[in-house]
Amino acid sequence: MPFPTVSRRLFMSLLGSAAALSALRPAAAAEGELKVLNWQGYGTDEKWALEIFEKKTGLKVVHDYFNSEQEMLTKLRTSPGVYDVVLMNNIYVMDAVSEGLVQPIDIGKITNFNDLTPALRDSERFVKDGKHWAMSWVWGLTSFAYNTQKIHERPDTIQVLWDPAHAGRVGWRDDALESIQLAALATGQDMNHPADLDRIKTKLEALKPQIKTFWSSEDEWNKYMAAGDYDVAVYWSGSAARSKKAMKLPVDFVVPKEGAIGWFDGLTIAAKAPNPDGAAKFIDFMVSPEFYVRWDTDVGAPASANAKANAELPPDAMNRAILGDPEVVKRVQWMAPLSDEQRQKNQELWDEVKTKLAQ
Amino acid sequence: MALPPRQRVEVFALTAPAYLWLAATVFLPLVAMVYFSFLTAVPVGGRTASFTLAHYISFFTKPIYWFNAWRSIELGIYVTAISLLVGYPAALALSRHVKGRWREAIFLLIILPFWSNALVRTFSWTMVLRQPLNLLFTYPAIVIGLVHAYLPYAILTSYISLQAIDESLIEASRSLGATTLQTFFRIILPLSMPGVLAAIFLIFVPVIGSFMEPRILGGKDAIMLGPIIEGQFTAAFNWPLGAALSFMMLAIVLLMLALAAPLLRRQLGSS
Amino acid sequence: MRRLSHAYLALVLAFLYLPILVMVVMAFNRSALYELPFTFDLVWFKALAGNERLLAASWNSIWIAACNAVIATFLGTLAAMAFARYAFRGKQLMQILLFPPITIPWLIIGTSMLIFFFWTGIGRGLHAILLGHVALSLPYVIVVVGARLQSFGPALEEAAATLGATPVQTFMRVTLPMIAPGVVAAGLFAFAVSFDQFVISYFLAPPGTSTLPVEIYTAIRKGFTPEINAVSSIIIVISMGLMLAVARNYRFGGE
Repeated sequence: MPFPTVSRRLFMSLLGSAAALSALRPAAAAEGELKVLNWQGYGTDEKWALEIFEKKTGLKVVHDYFNSEQEMLTKLRTSPGVYDVVLMNNIYVMDAVSEGLVQPIDIGKITNFNDLTPALRDSERFVKDGKHWAMSWVWGLTSFAYNTQKIHERPDTIQVLWDPAHAGRVGWRDDALESIQLAALATGQDMNHPADLDRIKTKLEALKPQIKTFWSSEDEWNKYMAAGDYDVAVYWSGSAARSKKAMKLPVDFVVPKEGAIGWFDGLTIAAKAPNPDGAAKFIDFMVSPEFYVRWDTDVGAPASANAKANAELPPDAMNRAILGDPEVVKRVQWMAPLSDEQRQKNQELWDEVKTKLAQ
Repeated sequence: MALPPRQRVEVFALTAPAYLWLAATVFLPLVAMVYFSFLTAVPVGGRTASFTLAHYISFFTKPIYWFNAWRSIELGIYVTAISLLVGYPAALALSRHVKGRWREAIFLLIILPFWSNALVRTFSWTMVLRQPLNLLFTYPAIVIGLVHAYLPYAILTSYISLQAIDESLIEASRSLGATTLQTFFRIILPLSMPGVLAAIFLIFVPVIGSFMEPRILGGKDAIMLGPIIEGQFTAAFNWPLGAALSFMMLAIVLLMLALAAPLLRRQLGSS
Repeated sequence: MRRLSHAYLALVLAFLYLPILVMVVMAFNRSALYELPFTFDLVWFKALAGNERLLAASWNSIWIAACNAVIATFLGTLAAMAFARYAFRGKQLMQILLFPPITIPWLIIGTSMLIFFFWTGIGRGLHAILLGHVALSLPYVIVVVGARLQSFGPALEEAAATLGATPVQTFMRVTLPMIAPGVVAAGLFAFAVSFDQFVISYFLAPPGTSTLPVEIYTAIRKGFTPEINAVSSIIIVISMGLMLAVARNYRFGGE
């Protein structure tokens, strides 16, 4: 009878796995390592860049990713002493400062400091008490992109997303804040303090016949565009550059007359960073033209906060042609920080809209 | 029911390891979440938090929550029912009409899909649903994807129970003149109920909280309580509300179980 | 009747394997964008061989799933015995306590584990992931083994007891063989639950280390290529091999 042997084996393997369990302790942080927390595929993890950085400084960069800004904050809150460099959208930085999650950056260590656009670099979103809590890195716009093979005349209004001619072929992102802000632009309101939320809600509900499906990552966007699911879709400027250049999709990014959502990101050093010096070096490298120009030219990127780096781009690069155009920048509304209550209200509104869209 | 001391020791020894593990890894952490669910905000970063029942109340007062809870339950019912309707006969066929090596082979074949990654499987479904079937981004797509994922549970647990039925009972029933159908309804089905109930537990409960498959396959139709709860953690910083909604969902499941209990007891009692 | 049964089984199996076939076929297709027509190419398997990250993650997953299967099956079978063979105060409560790990969205369990492990110093890591996985597998094991125990009833065990066998002897020589298919099935479930578990692993994985589902998810977000299909296909083939090996030593069909 095979049983007694099987159960004896079972017991032995149990003991074995208990022993193995203790072997699965995490390794202590290695010397010469830098931990970076960012979106995936958002510049800091470019292989060639990390090779250059390692050659320069001897530091090996290890990445951890987040899929939402709330997740980034959760990771920061629950893992002190784990991360060195953390990417943070400007609207979160001052909250992170008051929670003690980040430390000030020694601007003496940032050699590219003087080339950074002052409007972004010295923004009150990054600077407090004379200290720089984040270094402005990139900025971009959220608007829409269209398939140039399906739509032959370049749209100039955001209402194209509501155009019945594209019913069932519009792409949208499942994000409360972005949706409300786009609807605010479409109804001519201040996107940070919309006066008439009911109008925004109705406008969003009017998307019911339009949306084919939601996309949640750049890759999904690319795949749906390539498959012909989308004629026109909400998108980010940096990603549009990548889709056009690296993925070779026939798409074009539009900043319509109603304007676009503007955002800018900064790089921060976590409060209990194991290697703040290395972190500063990495940030310096990220804002340098050496990194940025190659990133945008080879891969595609949002616009740089380093004016000098931007100027080194070829003239037809999207970041120079569109985002570098002052007329365009005038139409941009910049994202502002929200309180938890506002965020909650937005979430509810969007959940209600989504429920309507599904019925 | 008080047990004699020796039996009490036995029960303790049998259940303590598992439940201690669960306590340390699930129950204690969840206690923290229960605590949060009664606060106005998570007490981090200088936020003041006060006691409130508002989150639990909002489940009943705000349609987005109870309506989507219903959507989740509806989905759970569809997926469980279809999985059982498809899976139980398959288990029956396997246990009664297949013999020997084939039986093992098919049993293994049914388990095998478990070992493929659910995400990759779901994406493979998007290919099939998009082209020949043109069902992608619809509610039926969600149901198909989930039934596919959970069908093996239905087949396996039913099979394990069916398998345990003593063949002599069936022979006895036949020799007493019962038809195949009668034998099935009076002997086989009742004796295999534990397997069916196990299937319901293993399918219905995870399905109502699912958000991956709905999102990938259902497009706009994916809004249900699972994704809404997810949003409280990933989009808004409202853990108290997310926690409260989850515990409400747990309460609903337990309520449904409590309501079904007399029925179940009758079924199990008859065997 | 028999033929009908066989046809039906074949149909069900076809449904179960449809996406898996698609998945495996696409692993051999040259197109990176999953476009047809089909051109045979091994390029993705070659790419996989060089993808250290994916391979390391796969190895972590297998290791964790195996430990998980053993531990969870052991703990869960014991608990299932208690439920099926004893009546005691608090039994119902304990059974109800099996619901939270499965009902509560893994996102919440993951977040609360993350925080709790942070407070208690357990932290993030492969050990934390294993702790989490066993907890999630336990309800499955208890329910599956329990169903088998229920269907069998205590008659044989009582007989053994009256013949003078100690509880341990009864368990090893009467109960265990009887419930063996359930135990093995539970072990396989536990392995599968752990191997495929994404949310908990995602929260508790430290930077730089990962498990297969997390890698697949990150790859999917970034832009996945059929390398994912390649690794999934290999896993299916290996599992098939493993299962055949196990089946040789042990009959599930149980007779």
